[in-house]
Amino acid sequence: MNKHALIIEEFACWGCRACEVACKQEYNPVEADNGIKYLSVWPDGPKRMNGKLDFMWRVSVCKHCDEPACVKACPEDAIMKREDGIVILNYEKCTGCQLCIDECPYHAIRFDEEKKTAAKCNLCHHRVEKGLYPACADNICLAHCIYFGDPAEIEQKILEKRKARGGWGEIIPKAISMSKG
Amino acid sequence: MPEFRYSNIEREMEVYGYDSFVKSHCRMCHGGCGVIVYVKNGKVSKIAGDPDCPIAHGTLCAKGLASAQLAYHKDRLTYPVKRIGPKASGKWEQISWDEALDTIAERILTYKEKHGPESVVFGYGTGRENEAVIYRIANVLGSPNVVTAGHFCYGPRICTSIITCGTNPIVDYENFPKCIIMWGNNVTISNPDEYKGEPFSVALDKGANLIVVDPRLTRPAARANVWLQLRPGTDAALALGMLNVIVNEKLYDKEFVEKYTHGWEPFVKRVNEYPLDRVEEITWVPKEKIREAAHLFATTKPAAIQWGVAIEQQTNCADNDRLLMFLMGITGNIDAPGGQVLNRQPNVVNVGQFGAHGMLPKDQFAKRLGGDRFRLASRFAILQPKCVWDAILEEKPYPVKMLFLISTNPLITSANAREVYRALEKVEFMAVADFFLTPTAELADIVLPAATWLEMDYVGDYWKRHGYILPRRKVIQVGECRSDHEMLNDLARRIGQGQYWWNNFEEALDYILHPMNITWNDFKKTNYIRGEVKYYKYKEGGFSTPTRKFELYSTTLEKMGYDPLPQHREPSESPVSTPDLYKEYPYILITGARQPGFFHTENRQIGRLRELDRDPIVEIHPDTAAKEKIKEGDWVIIESRRGSVRQRVRLSLGRDPRIVAAQHGWWFPEKKDPGHGWQESNINILTDNALESCDPAMGASNIRTLLCRIYPEAKGDSHE
Repeated sequence: MNKHALIIEEFACWGCRACEVACKQEYNPVEADNGIKYLSVWPDGPKRMNGKLDFMWRVSVCKHCDEPACVKACPEDAIMKREDGIVILNYEKCTGCQLCIDECPYHAIRFDEEKKTAAKCNLCHHRVEKGLYPACADNICLAHCIYFGDPAEIEQKILEKRKARGGWGEIIPKAISMSKG
Repeated sequence: MPEFRYSNIEREMEVYGYDSFVKSHCRMCHGGCGVIVYVKNGKVSKIAGDPDCPIAHGTLCAKGLASAQLAYHKDRLTYPVKRIGPKASGKWEQISWDEALDTIAERILTYKEKHGPESVVFGYGTGRENEAVIYRIANVLGSPNVVTAGHFCYGPRICTSIITCGTNPIVDYENFPKCIIMWGNNVTISNPDEYKGEPFSVALDKGANLIVVDPRLTRPAARANVWLQLRPGTDAALALGMLNVIVNEKLYDKEFVEKYTHGWEPFVKRVNEYPLDRVEEITWVPKEKIREAAHLFATTKPAAIQWGVAIEQQTNCADNDRLLMFLMGITGNIDAPGGQVLNRQPNVVNVGQFGAHGMLPKDQFAKRLGGDRFRLASRFAILQPKCVWDAILEEKPYPVKMLFLISTNPLITSANAREVYRALEKVEFMAVADFFLTPTAELADIVLPAATWLEMDYVGDYWKRHGYILPRRKVIQVGECRSDHEMLNDLARRIGQGQYWWNNFEEALDYILHPMNITWNDFKKTNYIRGEVKYYKYKEGGFSTPTRKFELYSTTLEKMGYDPLPQHREPSESPVSTPDLYKEYPYILITGARQPGFFHTENRQIGRLRELDRDPIVEIHPDTAAKEKIKEGDWVIIESRRGSVRQRVRLSLGRDPRIVAAQHGWWFPEKKDPGHGWQESNINILTDNALESCDPAMGASNIRTLLCRIYPEAKGDSHE
């Protein structure tokens, strides 16, 4: 079974926010105004780091953790980790208790006020199952920093990029469960 | 397991059941990106990037992705209207295209007869690929007056590059520059003409060094090897300082300088007037950093400068552009692979020919507003807008009676907005073509519904100098909307210009393409056409300048009566030039930092884009905030000598505490009164359009470097 991961190399992100709009396009008809955000890009800084000013963009989106805190937290078994690595929130089963929202260490789950359920990125599984890239990862990103596929292969690609840049870039932490406390 | 492939058109079609797809060329900004538009039941269903596009390689921005929300917006104007109440009353009535165009035609002919063709002024804002048709109708009419943003946006790059080295030198990202200076722009957020962020980003991923010149800590500045955080408005001094290092430490390309430049000796003399101690004092940039940047740029080959509009919306506009070209030139990077290339366009009728500039009679050329004063701009058919507002308000040197403004919202984008309002209020007749009833359109007599890029055929990037043309293919029809090209083709025939225009605009596209012996229908079947790629062309034929050399000393400017060598001029308002005023207005105001979802005044009504940036933001340093008793998220008043507006504060360590950085382009389409909040947060209420403050050669308004004060909005002042 191939593993599917969505990994964003935030070092390379320029904050153009095209991924946010691509995600909206996938899940909302043109006439609809906005709808819930599964993915959001936000400015981290400017702040002082080691005596130097730094400024980065961060992307909050479900990391489809290996041991997802949200799965453990859900009393309805509405969230499950599939064999292919995708963590799916089943909206039919969700009662809107919001325990998963509290437990997610990445703040990647939101509450949909309209539908009264939790809401998060299900990694465009309807596309992935048909061999299509998730909307945000389908080559729209000008920084080419949104990766989809096998996590080991992605890690290799990012390491190669860092090397070409002359060693610049963060090591991408593997998305794992970080249970609180 | 299915195989994954980017932009898998066949599978998208199959999975989503789209009826068809059209490859086209987006124009949510100036143009540039190839797109795939998926259609279902006759409507645009999805927009994606086209990986076959040589410019953005299938990547796409927030605006491009949200284009369908613009095309189908509920507030969009989809038929012509005429105003039936007083100006700004918001009272409109639907009319037919025939009535609209006949009325406009009748006015044009009447004013031409009574006041001369120069009393009819056409206008557009930034380049939206309609400039060629607008100039054509004006020139054939005999009006020398087309008012645009060209005096301070891109026009200066064209004018100054033509007189320096023949054409605009474009970064050759395809051959991966090893050092890039990003100067006065952020190509990852917005799109200086010719450029998209993707190739810049890829060059960095290939290991290019980066130098960023910007008063704000952007992400590129944070990623740069060297960030030069200069005092706003001192770009020329900084460039002269870098040139001083390169000249005196002999880091320049000796062969290029000896064989291919004009005016080296006077240039060196001028550069020596800017030793680093002086430059540090002017620019606030430590001299060690200036030296470091100069070394890195001059000793890394190939190297390039990614420039943009911020250096042009200043008093030093033309000299800023020229100095940056000098940096490219004397380091041997002009027309070098991976440097900056003087591209050849495909063999088409060029925009100058299409614009029919040759048809404007000499005596009419002589009447161009401001032509005596801003002689470089005027040579290239560019006006300073205040000259138009003055001609309306004071009827000097002659009255302007009619405006036809196409895809422009000068009430929000032109300096000294209250004066613009008075002019638009007074002008006898005004026609506007736009997508919405904007605050500017609300002052018009007739408003025509303009087509978006999804609704037109055109030769995309026709006017750019990157060497490509790309087909923009019509996908949909919305209401009665027409492209600017179609409506002007129709109007031109109604004012007796029929012999110079076409039965329909497709014939005009055939005309543009005819030197290549192809028609629009042939071109439509291609992805793009590229001009001949050739480097170091100057080694054979020299540069296309009067001396055939790269002109460090401009013989053209000398003839026009300007200083042939570049210099630093203090902005009209600054701590140095107006110290007394600085006591009253103790911050330097910079304006116009871009947001990815907006294009100047556009897209505030597009749900998916407005969501990214709800409010107009002014950035200040936390120390400034503490001093002025302001907190993050507060609405504050920003005030200059000319007026005040409100914006919302974001605190940022990445700005000098002496600087206030306000956004531009704000109005509030959600406010349904005819003003649509144009006075509320519009930073151009604060900006200066005095002719004395402009660049002397280009007439560029200085809207980027002013003095202001900032203070909390008193309770009860809120407009909300």
